[in-house]
Amino acid sequence: MTLRFELKGAISGAGDASGTTGARMGRLVLSRDGDQAGSAATADTSIDTPNYLKYTRHGLQPHMVREVAAELEGMPAATRVQLEDFLADELPDYGKLGDGMHEFIGLDRSELLVLDTLDPTVPGRTAKSSNTFMGIDSEGGTRRLTAEVFARVADQLKPDVVVPLADYVEEPHPSLTQGKRISKSVSRSCKWLEEYLSKRKHAAAVFAPVMGSHSTGLRDISAKMLAGLDEVAGYVFNDVSLDVAFEKKLQLVEHSLERLDASKPRYMAGASAPDSAIRAILRGIDLVDSSYPYAVTEQGFASTYVFGGDSAATGSAGHVDLWQESMFSDFGPLVEGCSCYTCRTHHRAYIHHLLMTKEMLSTVLLQMHNMHWYQRFFAAVRESVGRGRLQQDAERFFERYCSDAGCAAFGELETLGKQESSPTTKIQRKRHAEQAQ
Amino acid sequence: SPALKFEVFSRCSTTKARASKMHLPHYTAHTPMFMPVGTMGSIKGITTRQLETLDCHVILGNTYHLGSRPGPELLEKAGGLHKFMAWDRGMLTDSGGFQMVSLLKLANITEEGVEFENPHDGKVMMLTPEMSIGLQNAIGADIMMQLDDVVSSLTTGPRVEEAMWRSVRWLDRSMKAHKRPTEQNLFPIVQGGLDPRLRTLSATELIKRNAPGYAIGGLSGGEAKGAFWRMVSLSTDILPTNKPRYCMGVGYAEDLVVCSALGVDMYDCVFPTRTARFGNALVRTGSLALKQGRFKDDQEPIDRDCDCPTCRTYSRAYLHTTVTKDTTGCHLITVHNIAFQMRLMRDIRRAVIEDRFPEFIRDFMQTRFGKTVPRWVVEALQSVGVDLTVADEKGGYAATVIDDDFQKAPNV
Ligand SMILES: [Zn+2]
Ligand SMILES: [Zn+2]
Repeated sequence: MTLRFELKGAISGAGDASGTTGARMGRLVLSRDGDQAGSAATADTSIDTPNYLKYTRHGLQPHMVREVAAELEGMPAATRVQLEDFLADELPDYGKLGDGMHEFIGLDRSELLVLDTLDPTVPGRTAKSSNTFMGIDSEGGTRRLTAEVFARVADQLKPDVVVPLADYVEEPHPSLTQGKRISKSVSRSCKWLEEYLSKRKHAAAVFAPVMGSHSTGLRDISAKMLAGLDEVAGYVFNDVSLDVAFEKKLQLVEHSLERLDASKPRYMAGASAPDSAIRAILRGIDLVDSSYPYAVTEQGFASTYVFGGDSAATGSAGHVDLWQESMFSDFGPLVEGCSCYTCRTHHRAYIHHLLMTKEMLSTVLLQMHNMHWYQRFFAAVRESVGRGRLQQDAERFFERYCSDAGCAAFGELETLGKQESSPTTKIQRKRHAEQAQ
Repeated sequence: SPALKFEVFSRCSTTKARASKMHLPHYTAHTPMFMPVGTMGSIKGITTRQLETLDCHVILGNTYHLGSRPGPELLEKAGGLHKFMAWDRGMLTDSGGFQMVSLLKLANITEEGVEFENPHDGKVMMLTPEMSIGLQNAIGADIMMQLDDVVSSLTTGPRVEEAMWRSVRWLDRSMKAHKRPTEQNLFPIVQGGLDPRLRTLSATELIKRNAPGYAIGGLSGGEAKGAFWRMVSLSTDILPTNKPRYCMGVGYAEDLVVCSALGVDMYDCVFPTRTARFGNALVRTGSLALKQGRFKDDQEPIDRDCDCPTCRTYSRAYLHTTVTKDTTGCHLITVHNIAFQMRLMRDIRRAVIEDRFPEFIRDFMQTRFGKTVPRWVVEALQSVGVDLTVADEKGGYAATVIDDDFQKAPNV
């Protein structure tokens, strides 16, 4: 297995000539030739960037089993899985369970599989890490993941890309201001990365977390260390739990980017909402994840936002609310002219009925549409980057959906964090509580 | 009937089983068949395209639930439930009576209909045979059920006879109220509790109405299985052989095999889809509770012989991590459980067509129960010429009879 990243040169009209900061286009290419002795050479998998990694739970996209997800066209062949989903019980002996995680979660061999540790939709973490382990809260209590165990599990799961353990800083934290906690997080993450690299046997591409939190000085140290490691094939920005405005996070990211190898791909967790994704892409991020459409689905919404093209298209809400009473007898598709399975097959009245009766098919059908819509959005963004118009198109997009106070149109992810699992019933309860007031 | 053509093309030369084609307005179904239940107009998170791929021929909708949501006006406006939910194969609706009596404790039955308190506003309402047919005409299913006077199968005394005769009267009212006889079929329901005399009277009375098909009702309510199969067999002996027979609320694998041997063609049950939600996967030997720790490292699929998308892709170890946690965990088991029912019915049909159904029964019961088989299964099968207690010439399998009605643990 080899993974390479082809940067399509500097894009005129955005960013600097080296591609260090500013929007850029690229292509991740995964070759599996000669992975297994005697196996026929397989075609390369390629993912055009900017793009997203498919967000999953237990390795499957939310609400969609394989044959349902297969109805969706044009999705990037890249899936992210978080190890924490599999930590609730004692870790299974993955060594016994066939040939790695692709097989375990039923992912096609042609898909790029990224193994991360934490779920990007969960901002608040209480488990404490130590010098020797990463603390992860799970249903079965706190799990302590050491670099050694992580290396063993990652070897057994054989992902294409590994995001090694890191000591993510959580806010608010009293010692943050003194920088001691951040300093510790940088040194621990550095140590865990080195331990992982020395202990592992399976040569997955490493996308290393860039650390340093608020501190530009400590970010310099982290970036310098990572820039010096040949094994590092890409960078991860996971400041999900940092309690600062998104724009401030992007400044910190940019600060790190200036000190890293610009030829390597960059994934940012927590930048999934359309407005965040655009802002991150404008700063030079190549990959986000599809946790946003999932959050939209959990609200009982269908996405309608449009990037570029016809500005008169839809309203400024970015979605339609399928809970609304007006949907009761609305026999139109979720979005007129949408070519997704849901819109070709069903009407709003049916989805409304499924939500009202707490039927699980409601979220299945909404997720199909919302994923289709997300993919469309990224295709439009890539086209805009390609034409060197991202800045202008982004401004028009923000004008339509955002105000000075922020982008209320895309706040679904924030709501998701406060919500318990089991979607439809919980939302129903919330709605009833609202109506009772 | 213009809306149903029933074509029996194979008969088992030993038992009362038969294989047929049932031509319905929306689909030609093959029987014996199992119909998954989609109470509210969807089947537990499964798309209609998945249902087609899983080889479902007819699905069930519940009139009581659909009548309150989304309601008959909207369903009529949508062009019926088929169009509303985008399902273009067969569909059957119940009368709503059973739900009413089982869900609403305050239901009161009079000659006019079923009186009940609306759970939403507390008002007293009435479901009459005419209203049930009105709702079912609006839903537009290929097969409708008459409203019957449901009594628990454990009830005895004059109430059972009263309910039986009232159900006959309600059938006549239903037939009169039925507005779409060329597009929809109305099935009467044989009642009479566990009393052979009343069952006989009921069936005899109903067949005078020359309906397109008949249901056997009032069973599967916790009665002893010995009484259950006798009532089923007595009913199929009286009902016409050239019309479909539907045994309501039956869905356990051994029940499907036994009742098919007794000459039943159609079944429905919420069990396979409901149990999936709790992580229970159906197999020929019983059911696997995938939540249990013993599946943690189990790399086998649920069932090696099952070719459903779940079994083709996932190990029990994977399913163990996700069942009862993610909706997809639930969907994966639901898909398998529906596939399990459908494959069982296909196997029954093939065995009947190839006239080796008795061998199939022996194999099936040996797999399911091993050496010890419940008395009711043995006796029901003896009544149609298959004796599990006598070793056959091939495998030498002979069962020992036990008095339990159900299997206590999977036969593994
Ligand atoms: Zn759509
Ligand atoms: Zn299966």
